[in-house]
Amino acid sequence: MNVLVIETATSACAVALATRDEDPVTVVLDEDRRHTEVLVEGVASLLAAAGLRAHDLDRVVVDRGPGLFTGLRVGVATANALAQAVGCELVAVSSLELLARGAHARGARGTLVSCVDARRGEVFVQTYRLGDDDVRAIGEPEVVHPRSLAIEWATNGAPVTFTGDGVARYLADLGAVPQGVIVDQVVPPPAWGVALAATRESVEAVRPLYLRDADAVANFTTRDGPTAT
Amino acid sequence: MTYAGPVGVVLGIETSCDETAAAVVDENYHVIASRIESSIDEHRDFGGVVPELAGRAHVTHLPGVVAGALADAGLDPHRPAIDAIAVTSGPGLVGSLVVGLSAAKAYALAWEVPVVGVNHLEGHLFAPLLEHPDLAWPVVTLLVSGGHTALVVVRGPGRYEVLGETIDDAAGEAYDKVARWLGLGYPGGPVIDALAATGDPTALRLPASMVGPGFDFSFSGLKTAVVRARGVTEMAPADVAASFQEAANEQLVRKLRGALEVYPAAGVALAGGVAANSGLRARVRQLADEFGVALHLPSALMCTDNAAMIAAAGRYRLVHDGASDPTLAPRPNWSLQELA
Ligand SMILES: [Zn+2]
Repeated sequence: MNVLVIETATSACAVALATRDEDPVTVVLDEDRRHTEVLVEGVASLLAAAGLRAHDLDRVVVDRGPGLFTGLRVGVATANALAQAVGCELVAVSSLELLARGAHARGARGTLVSCVDARRGEVFVQTYRLGDDDVRAIGEPEVVHPRSLAIEWATNGAPVTFTGDGVARYLADLGAVPQGVIVDQVVPPPAWGVALAATRESVEAVRPLYLRDADAVANFTTRDGPTAT
Repeated sequence: MTYAGPVGVVLGIETSCDETAAAVVDENYHVIASRIESSIDEHRDFGGVVPELAGRAHVTHLPGVVAGALADAGLDPHRPAIDAIAVTSGPGLVGSLVVGLSAAKAYALAWEVPVVGVNHLEGHLFAPLLEHPDLAWPVVTLLVSGGHTALVVVRGPGRYEVLGETIDDAAGEAYDKVARWLGLGYPGGPVIDALAATGDPTALRLPASMVGPGFDFSFSGLKTAVVRARGVTEMAPADVAASFQEAANEQLVRKLRGALEVYPAAGVALAGGVAANSGLRARVRQLADEFGVALHLPSALMCTDNAAMIAAAGRYRLVHDGASDPTLAPRPNWSLQELA
């Protein structure tokens, strides 16, 4: 089975390709939000290196977020189009779950909080329980202020691991949790999408998980808005 | 002029503002299929297009719109017999442009065809050609929409002389602002046009000096003049709408007339959303009669942002300039001047 995973939830753009059930190959294409420029070209190179054409893909997997909105749109629009164009399976995974899997693979156990930078002083988070053989989500993904997150865990006193680019960004807050441990991961590792997707249903089309309304919906200043056609 | 080249059937994709569109156009500029899905209802409450909402809607709508266009054209959804993909890469909302660009590149990779980035405004200039494939050049085109206002001498595909642009608001933007002030909702163009039909265009005296210099346009002063006019709040909205529309069209037609006086043309064309305005169409029809030139008024479907015009312009660009680089990026402020 040939599986392609697309990762665009953070400032970085990465892809992973698993061919004929071999271990996936991961390439980080860019770390500076140039997703539109680099993504499809990166996929093309990865396929070419494996001696494959797009029609050889059996499954396209995409990180649907949460994450940065424009990046998510690039990844999801690309995945939707690619799977539609070749008629293969299409599966969505979550950025926070990829981070949890990555941390688990690096030996983290117990309670883990995946944190993706949400900009404007907030992070997207989800809590996981990491056992020896399994990774389980506790609760739903949400948007929080890193300082409240730090205070919550410092008060709680239970051991906790933090991971994701949200930790790097708010190290001053999260690094101060006395019993906290940090697993250094910036990009949700796309290779884990291969295994995760094997257990999920294929869908017709994916939609990004935004977790936040368009702020314009709350306070749109009509003067700045361009208009139709 | 002939455009015979190696490129036959082109799939066009357009996501620059609030319309998600896909179309299939052949080598004779015949539109085989054209699908458009608008997110305008989502923007109505905000009195203008909300960029983030538009971007989200494109992601949701694009796969279905493309599948629909391929199906309408009788093409295989997985191995369609197309020769290229043309996609709007600017100007427009960056968070919307990236959706079409990303999808276009993915389709191109899957179907092993080249992709070409198209200037949205050049697409509008190709619209008359789609409805009148045998038209004679040059054509003086007035491109008027919610985002753009430009007066262009089109000597042929790819040969443009931009005579003037707006120095402030776009024509359609002025309609939206006046409609909002009158409490008529969004978008302003169709509602003011309908209301103006029953109003008195001489009810409100608007200063004739509220126009741009030379061939340039200005609409912000006109909107302010409407709002500040003495007695305007007691006036019937239909009379205000008719007076505003009269003044807005007067400026557009005056500049168009000026261009026809200076530049020998075989035809005159309207393009863009405001080209649907009935008052403007009537006056441009008179102008074409007066100057004895061909008249190219777009159908309602061709006024709207659509992908057929993008496919047509893309076909031309591909033949003349070749395919775009794989790193093709959005150009949110790409001006027509850069093409001319
Ligand atoms: Zn337009």
